[in-house]
Amino acid sequence: MKAFSFLVLLFVFFVAGCAHSPDPVASLAPPAAPPQAQQVMVVSDSVQIPPNPPEMPVKSETKNVDDYGDIEVLEKVSEEARGEIADPLEPFNRAMYHFNDKLYFWVLKPVAQGYGKVVPEVARVSVSNFFANLAFPIRFVNCLLQANFKGAAAELGRFTLNTLWGVGGFLDPASSEDINLSKQDEDFGQTLGAYGLGQGFFIIWPLFGPSSPRDTVGLVGDAFLTPSTYFTPWYAGAGTKVYDRVNDTSLNIGDYESLKEAAIDPYVAIRDAYVQYRLKKVNRKGGNTPAEDSGLPKNE
Amino acid sequence: MKIVKIIVIIVFVILIAPGRAAAGGPFGPPQPIAKEAGGLHTGIGYWFHEDKYKNGTEQVTRQNQVYSELGYGSRNGWEITARVGMSDLKLIDAFSSSAASTATSKKDFEEHGKFFGTAGAKGFYPFNKTFGMGAFIQGTYYFSDFNDTVSGTQNGVPFSVKLSVKNLWDVNFGMGLQVTVPYGIKMYLGPYVYYSEAKVSPSTDVAGVALASGETTMKNKTGFGGFTGIEVPLAKGFRLNLEGQYTERLSIGAAVSYVY
Repeated sequence: MKAFSFLVLLFVFFVAGCAHSPDPVASLAPPAAPPQAQQVMVVSDSVQIPPNPPEMPVKSETKNVDDYGDIEVLEKVSEEARGEIADPLEPFNRAMYHFNDKLYFWVLKPVAQGYGKVVPEVARVSVSNFFANLAFPIRFVNCLLQANFKGAAAELGRFTLNTLWGVGGFLDPASSEDINLSKQDEDFGQTLGAYGLGQGFFIIWPLFGPSSPRDTVGLVGDAFLTPSTYFTPWYAGAGTKVYDRVNDTSLNIGDYESLKEAAIDPYVAIRDAYVQYRLKKVNRKGGNTPAEDSGLPKNE
Repeated sequence: MKIVKIIVIIVFVILIAPGRAAAGGPFGPPQPIAKEAGGLHTGIGYWFHEDKYKNGTEQVTRQNQVYSELGYGSRNGWEITARVGMSDLKLIDAFSSSAASTATSKKDFEEHGKFFGTAGAKGFYPFNKTFGMGAFIQGTYYFSDFNDTVSGTQNGVPFSVKLSVKNLWDVNFGMGLQVTVPYGIKMYLGPYVYYSEAKVSPSTDVAGVALASGETTMKNKTGFGGFTGIEVPLAKGFRLNLEGQYTERLSIGAAVSYVY
């Protein structure tokens, strides 16, 4: 029953996101939720965004702006093209932000620091490689769903090489200079974005962090492709995911702190970073938002 | 002088080594496949192994092994390797009955998919860019038992007996001469000695079935053999190794390694 309620809740958010983002907006909106560490890592990217985003897209100017509804839509197009996102749940999100912030500083960080002191970095990187290799189905299927066949082939090659010659994925020979098969960082949220689905609005989930209705649906889709989801008993899978997160955090301690110190309002900084990051990832794989409309440099 | 010392040590170790032997996968070229400055290598391989064991009667064994290997060392020095893999085991005619009053439902003992681990170390001394010599030691242990059940009749009375092959292990020691030809292809050969054993335990004794007459220890029949192989560099840091070993029977295999 709880699972059903959760799915209904997701559906409501999803629908709300669509309602919030009519078609023209949806076609320009950014995609789904990455691991927290990655989100923080790209914060610096958001700084590169031009301070004066471009004017209304040319395509939009050709529309017949004859009522307030259309103007709202066009404003929304411009807003999302700049990498902004509606935040109607800001009070809730801020509460969840503080919850996650405390969780990080009081639990995750100390545990990760202790773990980092006991386990050498080379072993932690190997563990990170292993979990990345285990997440191959997510990247492979989403490459296929986005008709990125070259990427799917690269992922298949990476998985084969790293599993066979990387001692089950603990090593990453596929990324070596000789082989140079780079990881295709794709997920279901990005796939939905590539299909033209808008982000909707910003939401911070407890434990899971920044997201949007679309990316939340993406997380559910990704969960079905994550092997640890199928571990029994359920706490074996949950424990695996927690360990993955602790290991990942131990390799990225300081990133979040840097972002927080540099920001006047860390909540806003994280929201902007998240949106820009997801927008960039969708655009990179031929999402519907042209680079010139996104406010990002073309080579992004 | 240094070369002479090494050869003397190798010969001495061979002479005092046990007079029996086995085979638990390829030995590889005498020269480590790591980079010159040192580093890791990984590999996967397949090994078809046949041998003769004895415990009163002679027993032909056949195994198909697949394994994954991790090694660390330096090209002109030493290397340690570890393997984990899975193997089957077939004891040909293990259930054949020599007694007219006993009939069995099948002849061969057979089971699949048991894990094993192998550890090895080797040292290499290059005489020049073409020739070199090395020595190695390598041992294998099977973490779980092989089991198979046979049914039949003895004097018209039906029976069923479960045979277990427990604690199968082997240790190998050898030395090899290596020649490096153009394109970095290495060819090698050499002698080795080995010892292998396993406990054979039937759930009940059956007259006429050699292995079903109390717990016994199976040991390899011959204690020495020869090996030869070739290692070919492939593209992008991969290397192909083909090797054959001969003792009582021929064993062959192939491995593809990647050098980090």
